[in-house]
Amino acid sequence: MKLYCERSSTKRVDRMQDIPISLIRLDLLFESVAGLISLLVSRRASIAYRITHEYRLSDLSTGFLVLSASMFCRVIGTLYFFVILNNGGSERVILIVSIMYSAIKTMAYLLFLVATRPYLMHRASAPAIALVALPILLDPVFDIISTFILVIITLQTLLNLASSRSEYSLYVFLGFLSLLISHLSQLFATMPLRGYFITQVFQLIGVMLFLLMVYRAGRV
Amino acid sequence: MRSKKAYRSKLRILVDMLRAIQNAEGEGVGPTKILYGANLSYDRLMQYIDELLEKGLISVKKNKDGSQVYILTDKGREFLREFIKVERFSRAFGIEV
Repeated sequence: MKLYCERSSTKRVDRMQDIPISLIRLDLLFESVAGLISLLVSRRASIAYRITHEYRLSDLSTGFLVLSASMFCRVIGTLYFFVILNNGGSERVILIVSIMYSAIKTMAYLLFLVATRPYLMHRASAPAIALVALPILLDPVFDIISTFILVIITLQTLLNLASSRSEYSLYVFLGFLSLLISHLSQLFATMPLRGYFITQVFQLIGVMLFLLMVYRAGRV
Repeated sequence: MRSKKAYRSKLRILVDMLRAIQNAEGEGVGPTKILYGANLSYDRLMQYIDELLEKGLISVKKNKDGSQVYILTDKGREFLREFIKVERFSRAFGIEV
C-alpha cells in the first residue's frame, strides 16, 4: 500500500513538471474562477440555511467553502512554485501541495455526500456509509476516493432529478457529473497534458453549472 | 426515491399562511380563509398570526363593516420571494425545506 502511494505520488509530481508554464497559467485562471464560483454557491447555501435552519444546507455551504479553499490553496501553491520561482520547487513540496489539495477536495465531496443523501437514507444509513469506506480499505489514494464519492453523489442527484424533474436539479446533476468526468480524466488520461487540460475544463464547467442553477433559481 | 418529510416544518406553515394571504391579491383575507388555505387548526392559526404580525410580515386592516382582514406587508412579499429562491436552490440538491 505504501509503495503504491509513493508510485502514484511520483507520477503526480512527474505530470506537474511536464506541463508547460503557459498551460499552468491558464489552469490557474480556470481554478481561480472555479474557486470564486464555489464561494458564491457557498454563500447562497449559507443564506438558505439562515432562513430555513435546515442543517443539510449548512453542510452544503461548508462543502462549497472547503472546495473553494482547496482550489485557492492549489492556485497559491502552483503560482508560487511554478510561475514565480519558475523552478517547479522540490518534489517534496509539490507532493505536499498535491496531497493537501486532494485531501481537502475529498473532505468537500464527503460534505456534499452527506448534504445530498436521500431522506430514505435514515433507515439504510449503516450499509450506505460502509460503502464509502470501501475505497479507503481497498486503495487509500485520495483521487480514487474522491472519484468514488463523486459517483455516489452523481447517482444521488440523478435520483433527485428523476423525482423532481426540475431544471435546477438538472443543473446540479450535470454539475456533479462534470466534476466526476474531471476526476476520471485525471485518473485515466494516457497523455498527461491532455488529461490535465480536460480535468481543469470539466471542473470549471461543473462549477459554472452550479452558478447557472443559482442564477436561474434566483430569478423570481 | 426521494420522500418528503412526514411533517410540515414551522417555516413551511408560515409560508403557506403567507401564500394564502397573498392569493387574496391585496384585498386582505380573514382568519377563516387562512385557516383553510394553510390547513391549520384555529389555535395554531392565532399563534402563528401573532408571530407573523410580530415579525412585520403581515398587517391588520379593518373593513368598514368592522371585520378584520390581514394583508401582506412589503417585508412579507420580499420574504416570500426570497423563500421561493431558497426552495428552488434546496430542492435542486434534493434538500427539503
